[in-house]
Amino acid sequence: MFTNTLFLLSALVTLGGAVAVVYSQNLMHACIYLLASLFGVAGLYACIGADFLAATQLVVYAGGVVILMLFAIMLTGGTGNNINRYGLEKVAAMGNKKTYFFAGITAVIFSLVILKILANVLKAQPASVLAANEPTVERLGTILATDHILAFEISSILLLGALIGAAVISRPRKERHD
Amino acid sequence: MINLGSYLAISFALFVCGILVMIARKNIIAMLLGIELILNASALNFAAYTKFTNNNLDGHIVSLFIIVIAAAEAAVGLGIVIRFFQLRESIHIDDAATLQN
Repeated sequence: MFTNTLFLLSALVTLGGAVAVVYSQNLMHACIYLLASLFGVAGLYACIGADFLAATQLVVYAGGVVILMLFAIMLTGGTGNNINRYGLEKVAAMGNKKTYFFAGITAVIFSLVILKILANVLKAQPASVLAANEPTVERLGTILATDHILAFEISSILLLGALIGAAVISRPRKERHD
Repeated sequence: MINLGSYLAISFALFVCGILVMIARKNIIAMLLGIELILNASALNFAAYTKFTNNNLDGHIVSLFIIVIAAAEAAVGLGIVIRFFQLRESIHIDDAATLQN
């Protein structure tokens, strides 16, 4: 069945990309693995009939955020632990053993807590038959322009503020703190 | 195969991977990658619950706003990182330990 195959493939790409982001040695490679993971999430959206959401995920994340992160990595001296003219030998793409130890402990604690919560949710899961997938764009547009119009406008103001704020923050200044 | 449980499991794995990246990495941009993973996990949960409960698309709206806010957060966060690099010539998180100079 096509949907099941798409679901399995997307889940594999998503989880493989996420694990590779955790354990990749090179920061640029980690960014590309994040791109693969986001593609997988778009496929998962498509599997449950969220077509507009899948398209937005591809456009905004794959076309915007990951490219922005790649530019930021290249603007701040590239990858790896090589020494360049900025003395970037201190930039470690990976943490050290201590941070991975604490991260592992935190992950185990989070896993236990979330699995404890999910156990009740999954036990009470209704075995209902799913509605057929239908195009969501028209309904989404209607809901967005009627019920959620305030959040829509606020998000436009937020985006304008983020645009101006990012330009103001990262502009070069005359005086340098040395 | 496509049910709520599998989606919750995938979202859970994504969330734990994001937490691992955020805590284990010492590079500010790598920590931003972890934040993106966590936001994706939550958006996936919203979309899955919309599909498997009453299918009234409210979860899709929330996921859309999560994507918008993630884009704004990435732009401002990377601007701050680049400004920090101009000042300190480093993006190691341990160098960002003081408020002034």
